[in-house]
Amino acid sequence: MADSNSRNKKSKSQYPTKGSGHGTSSWGDVIRNSSDTHRLFVFAGGIGGVALLLSIALGMGDFKRFQYSYLVAFMWALSISLGGLWWVTLQHLVNAKWSIVVRRVGELIAANLGLLAILSLPIVVPAVLGNSDLYMWVDSHRMQENHVLHHKSAYLNVPFFAIRVVLYFGFWFLLSQHLLKSSLKQDGEKADTQTVRLRRLAGPAMMGVAVTLTFAAIDFMMSLNPIWFSTIFGVYYLAGCVLAIHAFLALSLLWLQKRGALVKTVSQEHFHDIGKMMFAFTIFWAYIAFSQFMLIWYANIPEETHWYLLRAENGWLKVTWFQLIGHFILPFAFLLSRHMKRSRTALALGALWVLFVHYVDMYWLVMPTAFVEGPELHILDLTCWVGLTGIFVAAVAYRARGVNLVAVGDPRLETSLAFENV
Amino acid sequence: MSEMHHEKPESQEDAPLFGLLAEYNTPGELLLASQKVRDAGFTRWDTFTPFPVHGMDRAMGIKMTRLPWLVLGAAFTGLILATWFQWWTNAVDYPWIVSGKPFWSLPANIPIMFEVTVLFAGITAMVGMLVMNGLPQPAHPLDLKRRFARATDDKFFLLVEARDPRFDEVSTRSLLEKSHPAALEDVPEDRTTSAQIPTGLIYGLIVLTAVAVVPFALFAKARTTKSQNTRIHAIADMDSQPKFKTQRENLIFADGRSMREPVAGTVAQGQLRDDDALYLGKVNGAWARTFPSQVTPTAELMDRGEQRFGIYCAPCHGQSGEGDGMVHLRASKLGQGWVPPSNIHQQYIREQPVGQLFNTITHGIRSMPGYGPQISAEDRWAIILYLRALEKSRAANLGELTAEQRQNLK
Amino acid sequence: MATLWSDTNPYLGAPKGDTDFARITDNVARVAEAAKPPIGWYIAFGLALTMLTGFGASLAWVSWTGIGAWGNMHPVAWGFPIVNFVFWVGIGHAGTLISAILFLLRQTWRTAINRFAEAMTIFAVICAGVFPGVHIGRPWMPYYMFPIPNQMNMWPQFRSPLEWDIFAVGTYFTISLLFWFMGMIPDFATLRDRATTTPRRLIYGIVAMGWRGSSRQWHRYERAYLLLAALATPLVLSVHSVVSFDFATSQAPGWHTTIFPPYFVAGAIFGGFAMVVTLAVPARQFFGLKRLIEIRHLELMNKVILATGMMVGYAYGMEFFIAWYSGNPYEVFVFVNRAFGPYAWAYWTMIACNVVIPQLHWFHKVRTNVWCTLAIGVVINVGMWFERFVIICTSMSRDFMPANWGYFVPSTIDYLTLGGSFGLFFTLFLLFCRFLPMVAIAEVKGAHRDAHAGHGGHHHSHAPETA
Repeated sequence: MADSNSRNKKSKSQYPTKGSGHGTSSWGDVIRNSSDTHRLFVFAGGIGGVALLLSIALGMGDFKRFQYSYLVAFMWALSISLGGLWWVTLQHLVNAKWSIVVRRVGELIAANLGLLAILSLPIVVPAVLGNSDLYMWVDSHRMQENHVLHHKSAYLNVPFFAIRVVLYFGFWFLLSQHLLKSSLKQDGEKADTQTVRLRRLAGPAMMGVAVTLTFAAIDFMMSLNPIWFSTIFGVYYLAGCVLAIHAFLALSLLWLQKRGALVKTVSQEHFHDIGKMMFAFTIFWAYIAFSQFMLIWYANIPEETHWYLLRAENGWLKVTWFQLIGHFILPFAFLLSRHMKRSRTALALGALWVLFVHYVDMYWLVMPTAFVEGPELHILDLTCWVGLTGIFVAAVAYRARGVNLVAVGDPRLETSLAFENV
Repeated sequence: MSEMHHEKPESQEDAPLFGLLAEYNTPGELLLASQKVRDAGFTRWDTFTPFPVHGMDRAMGIKMTRLPWLVLGAAFTGLILATWFQWWTNAVDYPWIVSGKPFWSLPANIPIMFEVTVLFAGITAMVGMLVMNGLPQPAHPLDLKRRFARATDDKFFLLVEARDPRFDEVSTRSLLEKSHPAALEDVPEDRTTSAQIPTGLIYGLIVLTAVAVVPFALFAKARTTKSQNTRIHAIADMDSQPKFKTQRENLIFADGRSMREPVAGTVAQGQLRDDDALYLGKVNGAWARTFPSQVTPTAELMDRGEQRFGIYCAPCHGQSGEGDGMVHLRASKLGQGWVPPSNIHQQYIREQPVGQLFNTITHGIRSMPGYGPQISAEDRWAIILYLRALEKSRAANLGELTAEQRQNLK
Repeated sequence: MATLWSDTNPYLGAPKGDTDFARITDNVARVAEAAKPPIGWYIAFGLALTMLTGFGASLAWVSWTGIGAWGNMHPVAWGFPIVNFVFWVGIGHAGTLISAILFLLRQTWRTAINRFAEAMTIFAVICAGVFPGVHIGRPWMPYYMFPIPNQMNMWPQFRSPLEWDIFAVGTYFTISLLFWFMGMIPDFATLRDRATTTPRRLIYGIVAMGWRGSSRQWHRYERAYLLLAALATPLVLSVHSVVSFDFATSQAPGWHTTIFPPYFVAGAIFGGFAMVVTLAVPARQFFGLKRLIEIRHLELMNKVILATGMMVGYAYGMEFFIAWYSGNPYEVFVFVNRAFGPYAWAYWTMIACNVVIPQLHWFHKVRTNVWCTLAIGVVINVGMWFERFVIICTSMSRDFMPANWGYFVPSTIDYLTLGGSFGLFFTLFLLFCRFLPMVAIAEVKGAHRDAHAGHGGHHHSHAPETA
């Protein structure tokens, strides 16, 4: 049932109710874009493909380095789509009204999880084939070295890992596809059946996302150092995912608007809200990062502190300081101002910075395991990132061709269009 | 729809006009009227509503308040203050070691830094809002209008003050009438109520605060003054606990002492010192002339000995062993009768067996206390190794030097 | 029973007024303005006062005799008092969440319950603050905890989480109090303008500080409200995080785990909302507020309860898994001990109350039923108390060295103190209900559909929805 009281929030003139042609909405805005998205698909896909091939070629020479660089870039890209999956599920769960106009783009981003399953193969397949460059627990002999590793090998072993990976990506793929397809279906239906079904699904779905995300983070990143452990690790990765999706969503919307789509649909108000979430989760990330650090620092137990000692010594200390300043203090100060959140340029800069520091965060999580003395930048870092990002962007662009970029069938659409911020 | 009500001034005669008050039944009507008044260029006017009406800021042309900047400043102040205070108290004024953490432990200081930041910011937001709003505001001419009481209930009001430069009784009234108010009244100035907070209230608050502080002041005074009187023991069994303290009498035992010796023939864990050479410096009852077998003179042991010497011995005997340490220098200055520490380079000490030196360090000699409890046996031997090296440094023969060392002398 | 409400209850019956706004005002204001509340209020107040007296008596006894009057004994050095402290602080969090976080998330449904929840926060924090004050053995020397010059020339130990607690809870109390008071200023003005007797007009007038609803003042007021909400949000997250640091900074297995801060915060919100619904159900019935605190509000709160309950369940699961994963035998033992050791009865009570029973809220019928809401709310409060008991007491009763193990048995004074703290809480709460505006009158009006300009020019008089 459409919310008939949505009119009370409107301060703009009435939207025209007649649609005018292909790709134009009933309120007179361009909501489809096939040409620019196609061009982006070709461009990003081309660059991405080339970079990825280059990475593989370079990787033949230094496979270990390739694995590490690839893992960093992969976890970065994965966090964007996983963040998208979390975000879309959340919007359904809490019956959010402001985000209806931007949700479709979020759904398109989340739907990359199927592609990411394939892109995970350079990490997963070598492990399954017994290569322990990345994950030392692949080597079952080394896991017998001491009592603790032997104990963990019940979880950290190749067959169980493979099963879990299939479960994670299977669940993510099915859920992201379902969310997108239901939403697209609703475009034609213009009824609230999908909304009700998805709201009911969102509760259990969120539980699934929480658990799979946590264990994926544990498997892919925490197990790099199998002795170390932290109960908050899943939440830490989630914080990064939420930041990543909001930043990527903002950039996607701004790009679309520059190409003439969604100009009247997505307003300063919506960007303000996306900015608020980026601000809030910058603080949340810092809170989680600090909790994990301070508790381990305070208790000073060697089996936990060694992970932080690695990142507090030699060249990594600089990066750790950068995390504090670049990942918390700067974005906090930047996004604090109402004015910044409402300025498209400022928000774009903020989003780019957030994505950058998020990459540094992934780097900081992964690399010290293999490169103890400090960050050793390598061309593979760049090529893997360009490759994965290119393919990622190309896939979203591909999916965005020929579909409505706004969930026009959602019964709460009008409220979202008229949304005004505090 | 609108009726015009002209009520006479209620309580005072000849009070001049303070302003015109228009009453509306819905927020929408008030918004429209406000836009008109704003567009007409009035500045001294206001609207009164039971809840903040959405869009009123724009309709009235109210600019964004500076309060957020004030709060930001307060937040910074709180942050800096909390950081500085924790640093100064725990690292400068009274530094003490807590579970090995640095005196200034920034990670441990962050929670309080955060809390104080929020505290300062929050208090400033509230107090700043009150001050900038001119609250408390004890009196206002509108209080005399009975209809105005519904401003906090369900009616919406607009007041244009006569002080406004554009105010004109006739044209302003007709402007307001065009917005179809439910009522339009004159508001005379209030000549009867004082605009000050009653002095009684202020005095009362001051007295109350003073009275409230008194018990704390008395308490603080009691805890910081010396007294010849015996203490008041409010909680008797805490101050005089029924337990046996070290020097107290205990009549259960024949000798009446609380402190007991260990049971004869028992040895505490890790206290079985059965190696005389290592623990007593004796071999077959005589002072050992060589180091015990467990002690191998290596460069590391020498360094250890030097370090331990610097900690335990140098304060009295000096860094060079001549007996000119800080304690000696100070004690000499005090001139209260002081036996100087020995100069370890003296002949008789150089000639003493190492076992005897070990005994001296362990049990002390003359005024020197024994260091057995503080220094482990292995460390004592390390110190002796270093002592011998020190002594050698003053008493070496040219013949004992290598060719290279002889070269360096030149 | 009939005399407890119906005939002599001045809170029931249709509220007076010819507009919805006027009816909202009357519905809430008449509760504070009633010359005499019905008998039921007196009975409840009498009960609360009795419990409060018991509280005072037990605390006086402990101050006189010493901490030995409690069951605290080696190895369980922190017993009921700290469990109660964490319990009460946790309950306070729901109020701030409703006031501040739901405000930032633009959930206008919060206006029906936020005043009431904020009051609950203040009183819960007062109850909480009593416990650290009295558990220190020499409760006449609490000033050492504060950074004030003293005769020992000593400063507090800022590296201690117990010191952080003082600042966190103190700041939380102050900010919550300010937020609550600020919210009440317009409502005090309403009560002042309706007052018929001079004492009432004077008292409400003084606390209203001369508020007259000027839009210029509303502008700054709203900005301050937003700022306080934005400050209170990270504050509430930090407070229970700091409380969790009391345990997590230690090295004790079962205590030292990095997920404690967000886990405790989620648990606090979980328990706090349960307390809000536990109070809201009888209060709306008794004080005639069913038109304002509707079933949909209860349903939304139950959804929050379910969501935070799932977060708590997630944390239980993570603790369990990582304890196994760590391979640390002490960690593994703690969890085995909790489930199968001598305190297993407490552990399974906790699981039943916190994990199993709240699952009923998946069902719409349960969420929208007042009695289920009340019952599940009480069950969760019990469960959350037991959660703190399990974390604190069972972990300490069996830690690293078996020679050090012991079984904690609470004393009669422990029970008296726990029960008595509810006396303090309810005494304050009933006084609040009697004299202060229980619902945020101005905010409810502001969220009402008539408040928006789109209906300008029309005069609506909708009949208010009946419960």
